[in-house]
Amino acid sequence: MVPFPDRPQYRAIVAVSQRILDGLLTAWVTVTFTFFALRIAAGDPLASLLSQGLITHENVEQIRIQLGLDQPLLTQYMQFLSSLLHGDLGKSLYTKRSVSQIIFEQLPSTIELALSALLIGLILGIIIGTTAAWKRGSLGAILAESLSGLATALPVAFTGILGILFVSWLIGGLPGNIGLSSVKNLLLPASVLGFASAGPIARVIQSGLEESIQKPYILAARARGISGGLRLFWHALRPALPPVISLTALQAAFLFGGTVITEVVFSRPGLGRLLISSILQGDFPIAQGIVILAALLYTFSHHLADILAMVIDPRLENEHEK
Amino acid sequence: MKPKSSKHILFILLLLISCMIASCKNTDQQKQVITYGLTLAPSGIDPHINASAELGIPLSSVYDTLVFQNPENGEFVPGLAERWTISDDGFTYTFSLRDDVTFHDGTAFDAQAVKTNIEYILDPDHVSQKASLMLGPLEDVKVIDSHTISFRLSEPFAPLLDSLAQVYLGIASPTALEKWGPSEYQFHQVGTGPYRFIEYIPNDHLTLERNPDYAWAPEIYKNDQAQIDEIRFRFFEDPATRSLALESGEIDIIGEVPPYDAARLAESENFQLYPVAIPGQPLQFFFNTQNPPTDNVQVRLALIQAIDRAFITETIFGIYSPVAEGPLSASTLGYSSNYPYPDYDFDQARSTFQNLGWEYDEGRGQLLKEGQPLQIQIVVPTWGSNPEVGQLLEAAWEKLGLEVSLEVAPGFGPLKQAHDSGNYHAIGINFFGTDPDQLRSFFRSDGFYNWSGYQDPVLDSLLDQAVQASLDLNKRQAYYDQIFELIRNEALILPIRDYVNLVIARSNIKGLRFSSQGWFPFLIDLSIEP
Amino acid sequence: MRSRVIVYSSLLWLSAVVMASILAPLLTRFDPLQPVGPPLATPNGQWVLGTDALGRDTWTRLIYGARLSLSAAISSALLSITIGGFVGVISASSPHWVDRLIMWFSNALLSIPGLLLAMILVAGLGPGLATVIMAIGISGVPGFVRISRSIFMQTRSQRYMETSRALGGDSLWIIRYHLLPNALSQLLSFSTVQIAWAFLGLTTLTFLGLAGDPSTPEWGAMLNAGRLHLIEFPHLAILSGGAITLTIMSIHNLGIWLSRRTDPTRRL
Repeated sequence: MVPFPDRPQYRAIVAVSQRILDGLLTAWVTVTFTFFALRIAAGDPLASLLSQGLITHENVEQIRIQLGLDQPLLTQYMQFLSSLLHGDLGKSLYTKRSVSQIIFEQLPSTIELALSALLIGLILGIIIGTTAAWKRGSLGAILAESLSGLATALPVAFTGILGILFVSWLIGGLPGNIGLSSVKNLLLPASVLGFASAGPIARVIQSGLEESIQKPYILAARARGISGGLRLFWHALRPALPPVISLTALQAAFLFGGTVITEVVFSRPGLGRLLISSILQGDFPIAQGIVILAALLYTFSHHLADILAMVIDPRLENEHEK
Repeated sequence: MKPKSSKHILFILLLLISCMIASCKNTDQQKQVITYGLTLAPSGIDPHINASAELGIPLSSVYDTLVFQNPENGEFVPGLAERWTISDDGFTYTFSLRDDVTFHDGTAFDAQAVKTNIEYILDPDHVSQKASLMLGPLEDVKVIDSHTISFRLSEPFAPLLDSLAQVYLGIASPTALEKWGPSEYQFHQVGTGPYRFIEYIPNDHLTLERNPDYAWAPEIYKNDQAQIDEIRFRFFEDPATRSLALESGEIDIIGEVPPYDAARLAESENFQLYPVAIPGQPLQFFFNTQNPPTDNVQVRLALIQAIDRAFITETIFGIYSPVAEGPLSASTLGYSSNYPYPDYDFDQARSTFQNLGWEYDEGRGQLLKEGQPLQIQIVVPTWGSNPEVGQLLEAAWEKLGLEVSLEVAPGFGPLKQAHDSGNYHAIGINFFGTDPDQLRSFFRSDGFYNWSGYQDPVLDSLLDQAVQASLDLNKRQAYYDQIFELIRNEALILPIRDYVNLVIARSNIKGLRFSSQGWFPFLIDLSIEP
Repeated sequence: MRSRVIVYSSLLWLSAVVMASILAPLLTRFDPLQPVGPPLATPNGQWVLGTDALGRDTWTRLIYGARLSLSAAISSALLSITIGGFVGVISASSPHWVDRLIMWFSNALLSIPGLLLAMILVAGLGPGLATVIMAIGISGVPGFVRISRSIFMQTRSQRYMETSRALGGDSLWIIRYHLLPNALSQLLSFSTVQIAWAFLGLTTLTFLGLAGDPSTPEWGAMLNAGRLHLIEFPHLAILSGGAITLTIMSIHNLGIWLSRRTDPTRRL
């Protein structure tokens, strides 16, 4: 295209901008698909309001015009896109509050849960994966491996329920109010979700470590008498990390589904619970807004992870599709 | 290495200090706080506009009403109105209002304020779902002087005082109503009650704070001033989480606790069970008389006979709910036990269908007419264990030989939508209330909630006369007796159980009392025993 | 580390589930919808696994649930496989720019987390088991498009294809004796993964209450119902949750074992 000298830093810039462009286009497709899928599948959004008596037969046409629902679908789509770019996700059909406002109110709780779960998942995954790889054949390794297998296979819903049972059995009934309400309320759901996402992470760490332990420079370091310890471990771990980073991005997709389930099981306020209730009640603008947000976040994190991986290991620059 | 470790130490120190400060802050204030669990998240919480009972739990203490009803004997006592007179013909009610009341925002309470409230409720653009219906045939509200107001009806209306005693007709500050308008006002509610409305985040929490200026408590409140400084409400729509929230200490009080959990918690010394009988309609199903085969009264009777109502009540509700025997529950004014519903008789039910031309096919286990099974569609709302009742109804009718499908409507809106489609044979709906006139909107031909679709001028006139005989209780009872008989003979409803709200509170919470409607706690009377 | 034990036990469990689905009425004398005893009874001689909150036999509901959940998952997976497979093959056989367009579009769809994608569809169409099956089926399409396309392109480019062509074999013969068997075995192993995924997605959506009639004995819905009396009567939740987990694990293990066996690049 442009006559840049073919130097590594320019290649990097091109790769990164390609990623960004791809991300934006993907985001656009996602938004479009969500919009049309909901509209076409759902039919007339005013029908439910009408039947509840929240609007009358006289009002209905007026409101239809007010909400812009009388325009052809394509025009509505254009308007939707332009408001989206301004951060306006529409209004709830029932409470008429701005969807962005509603989502904004529920967002902190969900982010709290998702990030804690991610953190716990990473820590747990690294611990489990390392145990499995480092001490091969020992009881610890076998346990660690079965643990990671279990973590991958158990559906989040079931893990949550088992978590509740376990904690109540452990403490002989659920713990009383000891004043650390918000931490305690977060700890169990985050651990459940974290445990579930730790499974794949542990696997990747395990296989990555197994490979890098055999690498010549590690063996050489040990031979030279540099004792096992944090430094050595870090050197062994580093090559295993890039796949973990891209895995973490993929985990974001899993986490979205997972937070919905966890919020329902533990009755935590947040976007997951809001999504379910808006679907069941037919409040489409809210459902649409949440799904779009989730998809955009996922795309963003996916591409961000690719960029990060490229930065850490420049050899991956030219890999586009796995 | 040295610089690194000192940075670490500094960081840890800071963390410790901030923890100490945080915990210090907690012990500083000896604020008394109660967390109360709500079980439904209504789509709107303006009592003048929305119909949900749940909103009344917090809001009954934010507003005062013109009159209050004594929950022990049903008498009406002065509230914001010191005294009132009713004209002999029952058309006009005149109220003398207190002159020492102010709203939470400082506005003075007067007759004009009351008028503004009524106008706000009756404004057709505001689409009030309950309050406007509760005013009945209200024709005109006249401000006679600064603290006297009269209500003129177009015909006598017995339940007027009952309506005026409920949160839906609580008096709000006209300044706030005008400032915020119907969609936003629900987030900035201003009344005259013992608690002030602080904040509401939908589906998350609602906060009330004690009103220190409250000096006009009606005699039905045991305390003159609220004891608890702050009451926080949180939402627990999922029944499975309610007992968990109690046990984990997240909340102190919650209602609608599932019966088995309630039984278990009641045995613990940490909790106290308050079973509150809710007057009004029982948990019941309306048959759709406009949709075959339930358009045939014999079919309806057979469907009732095929249900073992005692079994259902006991299985799902344990010892806590009496079986319902009519369109009103036993704790409601006007209830009569003289018109019981058909007993459980499975064989009789089956033979009724056979007499009507359906043959029982052993192989398929179904009743068939010309090879086609009989299809029944049940629709239930999600609250009050309705889905469980629906499942047992489905099981019983399937056993009879019908082909049954069950739909759970996830909210009042979808429930109403299902009704509008007309595609149901039995639908679960019930309202609460202390006056039997609530039956009118369910059984009158043009009633807003006439979900049985039954049209009968005889029933209509009985209902009208019952409400117009507003001043003679015996006369009213006679009318209602006839109404109950008609409803039973026409098998318009399948009554299941009288509503009993199972409220569980932590043992150190004292003073928990409920209004005559059963749902609404008198928050002013709550105290925490140290 | 898939030892023989794991593969055999997975096969065993799956056969048990399939048998249960087919032979359901023979394995229990109760009706899954009818109350047969006191609610929440503990397992005893009469009710092997106890009863649920409405007095229905848990063993019966699990058996019939196997039938429902399994057939629902297979239907969803079939939907994803047929549509996805079709689009994937078309894409691989089209001119390059069409191929890129289709793949780019399907990749974009892949960035909506599968569960959410299914939920949008349920949101539009309304709750119900049929809707959930369709929604999971459709949301599995983008993933399978990719798989089928790569299988197709891979098999197409095998060395022996050129050899056969050089030897004068006509296209139909090539398709029948080389393309199809090879592609089929890979397709089979990926299909099992798809079924496992569909099973998980299905039970999750029904767990979240999106499946309509609550009396249907479907494992995900039963898991949700088990939450109501969890502390005192955990057997409902544990049994249905365990059944779901074991089934997903087994299908997954089977799929991995199959893919190992049919991997054409395997060095022995």
